[in-house]
Amino acid sequence: MAAETVSKGFGLGRPGSRGSLGVIWSVFRARIKIITRYKGAVLLESIIPVVFAGLPILLGSAVAGSEQAAAANFFSYTGTTCPSALPSDCATLFRLYMLMGSNTFMIVSLMLWLIGYWVRREQETGTLEALYLAPAKRLYILAGVTSYTLVRSLLAFVTATVLGSIVFQVNPLSGLFGAAIAYLVLGIPALWGISFFFGALVMRIKEANSVIQLLQWVLAFAMGVYFPVTVFPLLLRWTAMAFPPTLMNDAIRSTLLGITSIYGPWYVVLGLMLMAAWTVPLLGYQFFGLVERRVRRDQGVGQF
Amino acid sequence: MPAPIIKVEDLSKTFLSKERKKGAGRKKKPVHALKAVNLDVKDGEVFGLLGPNGAGKTTLIKILTTLLLPTSGTAWVNGYNITKEEDEVRASIGCMLMGDRGLYWKLTGRENLDYFGALYHVPKADRTKKIEELIALLKLGDFIDRTVETYSSGQRMIVAFAKSLVNDAPILFLDEPTVTMDVPTARELRRIVREMNDAGKTILYTTHLMHEAEELCDRVAIIDHGEIIALGTPEELKQSLGHEDVVSLEGIFPESTVVRLRAVPGIREVAVTAGDSGRSKLDVMVENSRAMLPRIIEAVTGNGATIEQIKPKEITLEDVFVAKTGRTLAVDTRVVGEKAVSGRGG
Repeated sequence: MAAETVSKGFGLGRPGSRGSLGVIWSVFRARIKIITRYKGAVLLESIIPVVFAGLPILLGSAVAGSEQAAAANFFSYTGTTCPSALPSDCATLFRLYMLMGSNTFMIVSLMLWLIGYWVRREQETGTLEALYLAPAKRLYILAGVTSYTLVRSLLAFVTATVLGSIVFQVNPLSGLFGAAIAYLVLGIPALWGISFFFGALVMRIKEANSVIQLLQWVLAFAMGVYFPVTVFPLLLRWTAMAFPPTLMNDAIRSTLLGITSIYGPWYVVLGLMLMAAWTVPLLGYQFFGLVERRVRRDQGVGQF
Repeated sequence: MPAPIIKVEDLSKTFLSKERKKGAGRKKKPVHALKAVNLDVKDGEVFGLLGPNGAGKTTLIKILTTLLLPTSGTAWVNGYNITKEEDEVRASIGCMLMGDRGLYWKLTGRENLDYFGALYHVPKADRTKKIEELIALLKLGDFIDRTVETYSSGQRMIVAFAKSLVNDAPILFLDEPTVTMDVPTARELRRIVREMNDAGKTILYTTHLMHEAEELCDRVAIIDHGEIIALGTPEELKQSLGHEDVVSLEGIFPESTVVRLRAVPGIREVAVTAGDSGRSKLDVMVENSRAMLPRIIEAVTGNGATIEQIKPKEITLEDVFVAKTGRTLAVDTRVVGEKAVSGRGG
């Protein structure tokens, strides 16, 4: 039947790898251009984790009577061992623990916002429909968006760490900073996977704010922003530990602070992170594809 | 006879419409947006799709452009199947479906064109050249390097139109492209559409404006309630009304006027267009306007109506629609809150 119709034009439906890379680069560049035209956005979002880390530090000090007492209580209650015998060093590590937890939470939150809200915003402005009209594969468009989220998150993480280090008088380079950053980068693909799940939900239910608000606080709780999840009852602990952001958070903190990971030795942590980095994005992308097909069958992606 | 570049076979789409009735909860009702539509668009023609809101035009276009999956039936665009060769279909078409939507407001017009060009896999050098051509052709020079957020509605429309041309596709889908443009810009756009067509592009054009369809389209399909009810050249469609004339009356008419008119032997159809301050326009289709005029006046005035103007009118495509459906194109037949019934697309 197709032979009865004529065929004209570029035939660019199947480009080579250069064309696909061009799509990733164009999407990435466009997102960067857009965010830089919102003055101060990256700097402002970097201040948030500093504020978030300040809350438990001040609360701990208020409840325990002093910051050193708060640190001692924290390490003894959470079953983590302070690697130093000096109370003042433990207080510094307590502050660094909170700062790193808040920073990692910001990364998780940014991922949800950047990808989930990206879907919603494109839906509202009509650009999502325009993207679906183009022959570029969804995978490459998402790769462009995720590359942008990676750069933006790392930028925010480093800025927040520098700001937090000045405010809380901590030295993040005292531990294995390079390894912590490596764990952060390794943890991000799993976050992309979760974001794909989330983006698919946003595309389907056409609402981002309430879902993100709810989900990010559930995440904050489950990933143990201010405490190791070992304090949870058994079932909740295992559930939380199965969650990739908890693994990433724990890996970063244990590396940086020189404390024992709740998952075990470093090679177990690394193995689990590699597994999460490989499987979660694939599952997320599959889910995104399923929902996308359903949406296209129901109302079309442009319906908002 | 040129081969079809778009072929539609028994294409159907059914949505589920959610109805919220007080005390009865939510009920789902199937709405057949397209009913086994068959259509051929020939290579190199400007093909018009006419119909009121909710007739199924947008659903048809969304399916042909791969945005929506059909419930049953299929179609080929540029020789590619719309459900099996989606990327090839997308690479074959340029679209302006959402008016001035679909642009990034924080990017400049040039950046938008470059971005979408990349998504269509147009190589960088060709893209840059094409964008310069479009800037010259559509006279975008004054504002193309400003961010879209600073544009007027007309400027956004013309950049959205440029976006549909950036991949130089052989087929263009233009859905009401002149809707928010001022008269000179709309005229200029129609001229360019004609030029594109002369250069060999096939154009599928939807509009509410009859003069646009008559000016631009080689053939027109009138779609209503998901079915093609008439198809042909504008001349053929108008001639299909035979020897009918249209008498146009303007004034204040009681509701029962249409019923009274329709009861008069010799009157084929009556269409009402509401105006301001209780005024309306009646287009009365008759076989012989001279002979029928006294009977029309008698039917109308006998009902307490006030006639302010009465004149014979040339048959237009709108009259063809009225003759086929008994309604004007202004009538909105959309169903709100619709959701598709699962089809094989899933």
